[in-house]
Amino acid sequence: MTTLRAFTCSLTVPQYGIPFYLQYLAHWPEYFIVAEAPGGELMGYIMGKAEGSVAREDWHGHVTALSVAPEFRRLGLAAKLMDMLEEISERKGGFFVDLFVRVSNQVAVSMYKQLGYSVYRTVIEYYSASNGDPDEDAYDMRKALSRDTEKRSIIPLPHPVRPEDIE
Amino acid sequence: MAARGHVQDPNDRRLRPIYDYLDNGNNKMAIQQADKLLKKHKDLHCAKVLKAIGLQRTGKQDEAFTLAQEVATLEPTDDNSLQALTILYREMHRPELVTKLYEAAVKKVPLSEEYHSHLFMAYARVGEYKKMQQAGMALYKIVPKNPYYFWSVMSLVMQAISAQDEKLAQTMFLPLAERMVEKMVKEEKIEAEAEVQLYFMILERLGKCEEALEVIRGPLGEKLTSELQSRESKCMMLYQRLQRWPEGNALASKLLLKNPDDWQFYSCYFDSLFHLIDQSWTEEGEGFHLAMTFVEDRIKAEDQKETRQLRGPYLGRLELIHRLRERGCPEEAQLGEPWDLMTQYFSQFGDKPCCITDLKLYLPALKGRVFCVSCVAVPLGGESEEEGGSVFPEDTKALQRHLCVCQLSRALGLHHALSPEGKLRVIRDLKAHYHHGLKFGATALKTELQFSDMYCLMAAHVYVDLWKETGEESMAWQGIGLLQEGLSHSPSNAQFKLLLLLLYCHLGAFEPVVDLYSSLDAKHVQHDTIGYLLTRYAEPLGQFAAASQSCNFTLRFFHSNQKDTSEYIIQAYKYGAFEKIPEFIALRSRLNQSLHFAQVRTERMLLDLFLEADIVLSLEESVKSMSLTPEEDDIPWDTLRDNRDLTVLTSWDPRDRSLTEEHRRASMEEECLWLRMRSLTLRLLAALTALGRAHQQQNSLGSENGVGDKASVAARLFSQLEQALQSAACLSEKRSQYPFLGPPSTRLAAALACGSCQCQTSALQLTVHLQELETMGLDESTELQTRICNTFKSLVIQLQEMSNKCNGDLLEMKDSRLKTQPSLLENLVFFLETMSVVLWVASQCAKVIRPLKASLQKKKKKKKDTNTATPAVVCGFQVLTGGLQEVLSQVLEHIKTQELGLTALKLASLTLEPHTQEEESFIRAGMDKVHSSYLRSLQELGDLLKRRAETLKTLKI
Repeated sequence: MTTLRAFTCSLTVPQYGIPFYLQYLAHWPEYFIVAEAPGGELMGYIMGKAEGSVAREDWHGHVTALSVAPEFRRLGLAAKLMDMLEEISERKGGFFVDLFVRVSNQVAVSMYKQLGYSVYRTVIEYYSASNGDPDEDAYDMRKALSRDTEKRSIIPLPHPVRPEDIE
Repeated sequence: MAARGHVQDPNDRRLRPIYDYLDNGNNKMAIQQADKLLKKHKDLHCAKVLKAIGLQRTGKQDEAFTLAQEVATLEPTDDNSLQALTILYREMHRPELVTKLYEAAVKKVPLSEEYHSHLFMAYARVGEYKKMQQAGMALYKIVPKNPYYFWSVMSLVMQAISAQDEKLAQTMFLPLAERMVEKMVKEEKIEAEAEVQLYFMILERLGKCEEALEVIRGPLGEKLTSELQSRESKCMMLYQRLQRWPEGNALASKLLLKNPDDWQFYSCYFDSLFHLIDQSWTEEGEGFHLAMTFVEDRIKAEDQKETRQLRGPYLGRLELIHRLRERGCPEEAQLGEPWDLMTQYFSQFGDKPCCITDLKLYLPALKGRVFCVSCVAVPLGGESEEEGGSVFPEDTKALQRHLCVCQLSRALGLHHALSPEGKLRVIRDLKAHYHHGLKFGATALKTELQFSDMYCLMAAHVYVDLWKETGEESMAWQGIGLLQEGLSHSPSNAQFKLLLLLLYCHLGAFEPVVDLYSSLDAKHVQHDTIGYLLTRYAEPLGQFAAASQSCNFTLRFFHSNQKDTSEYIIQAYKYGAFEKIPEFIALRSRLNQSLHFAQVRTERMLLDLFLEADIVLSLEESVKSMSLTPEEDDIPWDTLRDNRDLTVLTSWDPRDRSLTEEHRRASMEEECLWLRMRSLTLRLLAALTALGRAHQQQNSLGSENGVGDKASVAARLFSQLEQALQSAACLSEKRSQYPFLGPPSTRLAAALACGSCQCQTSALQLTVHLQELETMGLDESTELQTRICNTFKSLVIQLQEMSNKCNGDLLEMKDSRLKTQPSLLENLVFFLETMSVVLWVASQCAKVIRPLKASLQKKKKKKKDTNTATPAVVCGFQVLTGGLQEVLSQVLEHIKTQELGLTALKLASLTLEPHTQEEESFIRAGMDKVHSSYLRSLQELGDLLKRRAETLKTLKI
């Protein structure tokens, strides 16, 4: 039981800097959805964008951030928010939805798999680490949308790529 | 920033290396390269601008500006120069100059789409809405593209939003905007979704809801496809505003059938239905029946689902009962007993962490019912019995259920009703569950929370209850020990850190807070929302270095906000996110008007003065370097906003112990008053420095026309300070008590109790007296001099009293118990602040009296006056400095004794009440932290006071 609504600036989501959020809000406001509990608490949010080119058949929705407060986990909220982002991407005529996730984040990887995502490629040292830890690889996970009838967009690449090779 | 790729232009090729140097941060080489190029090509203006960028970035702002203006006055029209100047002006924080630049450019090249568009954006950056409107239309005339037209329309809306006069908005700007859009509608030229959005915005602001509804439901509304349920939400909002309840109810019902978990539509459904009943559209009994059937049907559908039942319908039922009760409808009984329904809810969702958050909303419905929470324990299920007879949950679901029962007990006030012994039993039980539950998270990552963390937090809450109830300090220490232990198992638990932070501060120790706060990794907006936790305690607890640092972080955040927002307003125009533009602007003002921002600005300046004025720089220089003037008040008092997150600390306290609106209001009032006193103090200090200056000018220029103004400013500020002091006294009488987990009290009460406010006010009054003395001279001011001398005497007495209030042991061990007196530390800080103020005033006194004395002697010599008696004020001044010297020495001696005492204190010899070895080590670690923090505070205070004492030596007339 959740109120889902478009993000407005009166809410404070502190994960990233204000400019980062404003950039998304200015460009893709529809892709920014928050979930509120009946008491008004912020339960979680999703933020994404549409990018790529239709000609190259890689016009797609991208999940930039998905976050659910600990108190509101295990309610299927992340799935609901992902579902909404996919729906928006469908309407925009995207071929697929993609996202990046830390290879080590098993919980997230298996959740995305359950939601129908598969690993398209591994991006080497995508996450730069602080305090001397090694940089971490990311999975680029994808789910085909209805426009990609043959699901060509999700055929896994045979080799990992480097961050500079992705757009 | 590199030049765009028209390879043909030879100038581009010539400039390329300079761009590259600038891009790589090699500003020196960029300047050299530009000079080289300018020798050969004198008229290559862009090279000059690029050189100016290099200069600006190497700190030579003035040179950079002069150079840039050389080019700007030529009104360049080449793309390179314009772009480079735009970048330069932005870095100089002079966006208004960009507008001038492109105004000139479009005059020379009137048909350039690009320059007109840059001009529009330049106006947007400085918020010149009227000019934006014109620039948008000019663009549209050159290139009839829809976005340009609607930029112009949006700028009209912005004029409406920013208009001081709402009538002007409603009768001029908005109707004009509406007509502009209607024209496009009639000509069937509407293309984009953004245009329909904007049309809707205009109609909505005009209150033309019928028309707006028509647009949304009509063919134009079909364009609203990006945002999910955009049309439905807009319709719903309009139905409510238009009070079209039948349609509103039908829509809410339709949406709930589609998604029975969407909470906002339950409210809409009930609201509209009750309105229908009230307006006799529906017969009352029938209406209630309808609502009940609707909710129960949703529940039936949910009950039949095999997996993942949604919470919405079940909570919807509780909401309906709540609303029916509010109306006094007996029908609610047909839905069932709230107690049974909540138990049922618990049995379905008790294993979800949010169960307590959901049920908390409806707990008042249980009021008056005699019950025992332990009966909820029946459906717990999945328990295992361990040695000692305690029953522990067998898996994480059972744990969550048990935890929920504990949370409910607390929320119902059952913990608070217990005797101290009872509370200790609860703590034992919670701790046992906490430790037992750790096994479920044995393999958890550092970033993950433990399943049983909340038991630990709740036990700490009960320790706090006991501490506050009995005054037994050992409870606080045990709470700290427990939370430190919790943190060792769950290093990223923010709630542990926040509560620890608060406990340490209440015990007067700021040192451990520095690491705790930085590990919270507070970001961005959080500097505004939770920064108060730091700034309230750092300086008042004598940790000046840490205080400076936390002010700096905060100010950096606020200052960058202003610049950032403008860029995104421009982007929102570009992408047609018109709805977001007013939001961005509101966000910017929300931050600019933040109470916390104003506080940090003020405290940062005061702190700088306490640390440096008359030590590193003279007070006058310090004031000047901050561009502080007595006349200028930079605090938007009427629009100050409380952005603090006062519920950031988790609390399960019952309603009567929770934070109320009244608390919030009282806290804000108190904060504002304290801020007013601090800001007036600061401005009076600025007025103080004007004293000596006025005199110098008088001497050198012979006449001075600013003196009278300055005098009246100081007098006005002083009377405001006196008023504030009076209000403060009243306020502190009805002293508001906030919940422990709510807002901290300001320093106001303590400042009054120790006499700091009163003493500073007396000292600052001398600013006014000295101005009078300055104009009167020494030979004709006997009465004034007596008054000044009396103030001198009173200052010494007041400081002596303040010093007495610092006496006592900060930390002592008595009967194997630790006892802290953090208020002594706070009083020492007040003493330091007040002594600083008095010394600054004294120093200005000397500056004023010295020349007066000299001129008096000169006069006497001329008249051959044999009366050699020293003027009263000079004698009084000597008494003052002597008195200050004595008090300062006492306090320094006291600090030294405290430091020695603390160093000698053997905390290890303290015997703690029986605890496990692990628990004991965490409690001792906490004590050591507090101990070390006290030493550090004393050291910082002692150092500063010693340096202040040095300045006393120079105070001679």
